[in-house]
Order: sequence, then structure tokens, then C-alpha cells
Amino acid sequence: MPLNHWCRIERLEGPQGDRDRLIDLGFTPGEEIVVTNSSPLGDPLVVRVRDALLALRRREAAWIWVEGQ
Amino acid sequence: MSVPVPETESQTIELTACLVGMPNSGKTTLMNAITGGNFRTANYAGVTVSLLRGKSKPEFGRSFQIVDLPGVHSSVSPSPEEELACNVIEGKNSRVRPDAFILVADSTQLERHLKFAGFVARQARPVVVALTMMDLLGRTQQFVDVPKLAAGLGVPVVPVDGRTGKGVSDLISALQRECDHPVSASALAELPDEPVSSFKAVRELLDRSGAIRRVSRSRHTDALTARIDRFVLHRYTGFPIFFLILISLFAAIFWAAQPFVDAVDSGFTMAGDLVQQALPESLISRFIAEGLIGGVGSVAVFFPQIMILFFLMTLLEDSGYLARGATLVDRPLSFLGLHGRSFVPMLSGFACAIPAVFAARAIPAKRERLLTIWILPLMSCSARLPVYALLLTALLPAAAWTQGLSLAAIYISSLLVGSIIAGLASRIVLRHRNPSLLAMELPVYRAPRWIPILRMTWARGSAYLQRAGVPIVVVSIVLWLLSNFAISSQTIIAPAEMESSVAAQLGQKMEPILRPMGVDWRVGVGLISAFAAREVFVSSMAIVFHIEGDNEETQQAGLLAQMRTATFAGSSQLIFTPSTIFGLIVFFFFSLQCFSTVAVVRRETNSWRLAAAQLVFYTGLGYVLAVVGVQTLRALGVA
Repeated sequence: MPLNHWCRIERLEGPQGDRDRLIDLGFTPGEEIVVTNSSPLGDPLVVRVRDALLALRRREAAWIWVEGQ
Repeated sequence: MSVPVPETESQTIELTACLVGMPNSGKTTLMNAITGGNFRTANYAGVTVSLLRGKSKPEFGRSFQIVDLPGVHSSVSPSPEEELACNVIEGKNSRVRPDAFILVADSTQLERHLKFAGFVARQARPVVVALTMMDLLGRTQQFVDVPKLAAGLGVPVVPVDGRTGKGVSDLISALQRECDHPVSASALAELPDEPVSSFKAVRELLDRSGAIRRVSRSRHTDALTARIDRFVLHRYTGFPIFFLILISLFAAIFWAAQPFVDAVDSGFTMAGDLVQQALPESLISRFIAEGLIGGVGSVAVFFPQIMILFFLMTLLEDSGYLARGATLVDRPLSFLGLHGRSFVPMLSGFACAIPAVFAARAIPAKRERLLTIWILPLMSCSARLPVYALLLTALLPAAAWTQGLSLAAIYISSLLVGSIIAGLASRIVLRHRNPSLLAMELPVYRAPRWIPILRMTWARGSAYLQRAGVPIVVVSIVLWLLSNFAISSQTIIAPAEMESSVAAQLGQKMEPILRPMGVDWRVGVGLISAFAAREVFVSSMAIVFHIEGDNEETQQAGLLAQMRTATFAGSSQLIFTPSTIFGLIVFFFFSLQCFSTVAVVRRETNSWRLAAAQLVFYTGLGYVLAVVGVQTLRALGVA
């Protein structure tokens, strides 16, 4: 996913508990998100979702599939 | 009027209102504003979470018991903290029975913050929504129409600013009105629990109310935050900024705090002297002067450092930087099985392990929190500094710069060894447990407000005094008794006769295990007394080696002179040789010589086993490595 490019969430993967937590944080299918920053070491990423900024590890971000990927 | 009377505190008819909301919604700031900073933390058996309890200030009208519950993301798949909050909300907790709820919601992120409002609204208790962060709406190009929002949600909505106290009295009057005339049903109560449909329903509800005007959906970026993050998270400037902030923190803790530390130290010494002069020489007067005032003094001497630490940490947290710092270091720390947020406790550990253990609460996942607490005793706390200063001067008497260099090496090694132990533990002991999610919210940057920060600093500082102060004072008093009493006769022993005290007897019993380290029972007494606080090692060594000195400098000079010539009883073999001094440094580096830390770890983890395991592991490791070091050096021909 390129920086500063809005994408629409298609589906979520990952272990059940972690997927539930991502959904609780606002990552629901159909929602638009954007990666705004990448930290200096390349991980974690900073993602904007539902007006909030969240730091996600790449491992966690990889569970979020966006449309057109 | 159908106001339910609290069952637990039946002596009052005060109603209990619980603050509920997501993490970062501004609950605790609001708690501060409602209670005027007058609240206490209450720990609950079985959980490591604490609730903040306080009373609303009388000037806001009727007085409420206010309870700040842990932040909740979800009522469907809760963490232990969230489970406690949900239990309280549902009225299943016997200690806290809520009569009303204040739902705290960040006005810039209403969708996320109202998502679990349905769960709260369905409890058939009055609900008032407190809208926070209203000052940030303009920066995120949004506008919230409060009356329309209240009409849409079906519950009162009150904008508040916990940092200035604006709107707090309106909030309490709204709460009072709701308790007197409860409304039966609200649109909020219709929201489903299941998160995906709840998010959908909240969005529809907000759209229907027409309360939010914004440029586009979900795309409100605060320009200032984006601009600052460009530097703070930048590939080249991110880490220099981070290290600059760390260095300033260290400078403040060690250098700026020094005058205060000295003032407190000499204040307590003076108070002790005054008591001894004022009272006739007796067991009681010596107990008051040395045991009691000395014990309290050993807590108080760390207080300036810890207050400065709490103040700067609160400042960094409040301004929004702390979460960025955690983001920067998450990668190396998560490689070690820790969490981005572990850097705050680790940093605090260089001042004192006790506030560091408290700071570990900010780590949301249990696995990472326990692992962080596990390595905290290794961080070179400031109580070790006088010990290292003494030992390094004895080891390298000639050049001051080699002492400084060795001290720096000790500090860096403590971080490295901590990392190695964390990395090994997460791969061996905890390998079957999956790492938890980071998913950490980065708050919007805000200019700090001094009054709330000072209040929070004071609240944290007094919590430290309460929880850590008591064990430290008790341990120092017990050790004073041990070093001033003999076990056979209950007679007072002057310092000159310390050879027969319980501490000395213990030291002499320990001599067989001290010999491999190359030291005699007198050092053993120093090591035992260091369990009150490590720096006590220096003063008790001065006592056992019969050093008379009015202040620290002459005491240390006298002690150093004694150490150079001290020999084992009945032989001419020197005790303090390069190898044994090195062994002592190794011992102090590893061993968990601080009963207060053990007590605080027990409280915070609710586990004697973990606290005891930590004590045995580090003290055992320190002993074994010290013996190995001394014997290896001797085998290599170092005296």
C-alpha cells in the first residue's frame, strides 16, 4: 500500500482475537483508510481510520486487505 | 423519584457516577477536573487494574462519587482491564455499583467513541455524554452541533474541557437532572453490540441527527499534527529528535534534580541530629533519629527525581509525543518481545525501578507488561550511583575520566543485558504465547496545559509515596533494628559494637558464601543492609569499618582509606583488591537488592511468585557471575 493513498478495506484476515480488535478499532470492510507515515525503521506504519491515527505493525497491517490490491 | 440507593456505601446516599469511554477519550483529565485532583487509586484483588475514585467538587452542585473506569474499546472481546470495566457497567461488581454513567467521547472521533455507547445505554441507568476535545474540531475542519447531537442520541450532551474545567459544572447539573428524572429509552440504547453493525448504526444515527458538519467523511487530518509527524517520524530526523528528548530527560533527572536531592538529604540529616540533641541519649532517641527519620529520608531523597520524572513524562504524554516515541522504538523492542511503550518504564528505571514498575501499566498486553517488569531491575537505578562511585574510585583511584567511562559502560551494559534477557525470555519462556497487537493510537499534538499536568504529576507522585514509601520505610526500620540489636540480649549496641548485632551475626553466618566473592562478613553486612536501598551500602560500610565522618565526602575519603588497608581477620590478605571490587560491581549490576521493588512488583502483578522469582533470579545471577568474575580474574593473575 503506497503512502498517502486512500484505499477501501475489502476484508480482514489474521487470528480471530486480533481481527476482532482491529474491527473494534474501526477497521471495518468498506471503510476508507490511508497510510500517512512509516516510522524510520520501516515498521510500524501510521494509519488513519475513522478520524483516528493508529500505529500498526506491518504484520498487523498485512491482515487488512484493501480493494484493488 | 426512583433513584437507586448504592448498596455498598449505605452510610451515604451519595450517587456513584462512572466515567466510561475509550482509551484516550480524556477520561482521566475530566476526572481531575470534576474532583479537583482529589482522588485516590483503588486496587482490586485479582486484577492489576486500578480504578480512580473521588468525589465531585461541592461547587458543582450535588456531590457524586466519581469512578474512572479503565478505557474500553469493546464489550464483545474484552481484555482483563476492559472486562473489569464491563463488569462494573453491568452492575456485576460488588465493590462499585454505578447509578449513572458519564460517557466520555472525543468529539473529533465520534464514530469510534460512540461505538460501544449502546452497551452503556442499555443498563437502565442515566447516561450523559461528555464531549471532549472540542477545541480540536476547528483544527480537523469539523463542526459538531451539540443540541442536534443530543436530540439525535436521546441523551444529554455536554461539551467539556477537562484541562480548563470549562463545562464541568454543566455536566454535573445535567447528570443531576438525569438522576432526578430518568428518561426511559434513548436512540443510543438501540445500538447493537456487534462492532461492524454498531459502527454502521452509529454512522446512520449521526447522519440522521445532522449534528456533524465536515468537509469529507473520515478524512479529517489535523494539518499541525501531520506537519509535526513529518519530522518526528521522519527517516533521518526521527531518531535524533527522540534521542535529544531522552538526553534532556536524563539531564533533568540526574543534574537538575541534584540540588533538590542534596537539600532533602541534608534536611533529613539535620532533623535527625536535632532529635538526637533534643532528646536524652537513649534507644528511643536513636531509633527516632536513625531508624525513623533516616528511613523516611531514604524515601524522600528520591522524591525530587521521581517528581521531575513524573512531570516530564506527563508533559510528553499530554503533548502527544510519548506515543510517537513508542512508535519509533517498537520495532527493536518488539523483536525483544517487548512493546513500543516499554521504553517509558525502561527509561524510568534509570531513576528508580519503583515508578518504572508503575509506568509499565501503560503497556496494554499482559505478556509484554510482565516481560518489561521482569527486566526493570537491571536498569541502572540512581540508588546504585553512590555505590558505583565508591567502588570505581577504589578500583581506579588515579584517573577520574576512566571512572566516568566505566560508569557510562555500566549504564549502557545494563540496557544491553536487559535486552538480552528479554530476548531470551520471550523466545524460551514465553515462546508459546503470541505477541499482542500494537494498534496504538497516536493522539493529536496539543500545547500543554500546566495546571492539569501539575495535578497529574502530584497524583502520580503521591501514589508513589503511598505504595512505595511504606515498604521502604518498613524495610529500613527493620534493617536498623537488625544492625542495632543483638539477638541474645535486648540491649542497645553502639556503632562501635556492631560486630555483635544481628546483622553482623547474619554476615558472619554468610561468610562461607561470601568467601568465593573474595570478601568478608563486613561487606556481607553492607550487602544485607543494601536491601533497604542500594545506596545504604556506603553508609553501613562506613559503620562496620568504623569511619567517623560528618558529611559524605569525609566519610567516603575515610572509607576509601580503610578499604585500601582492610584485611581478613587474622591474616594479612587484603579484602579490596581489583578482582573483588570488580566482583562487587558485577553483583550490584545484577542483583535485585531492593525489597521495595519486590513489594511493588508483587502489588502490580498480583503475584508473589513472580516477585520472588525475580528476587532469586537476579540476586542468584549476580552472585554466580560475581564469583565467576573474581575467580577468573584471580586465575588470570589479577590480585
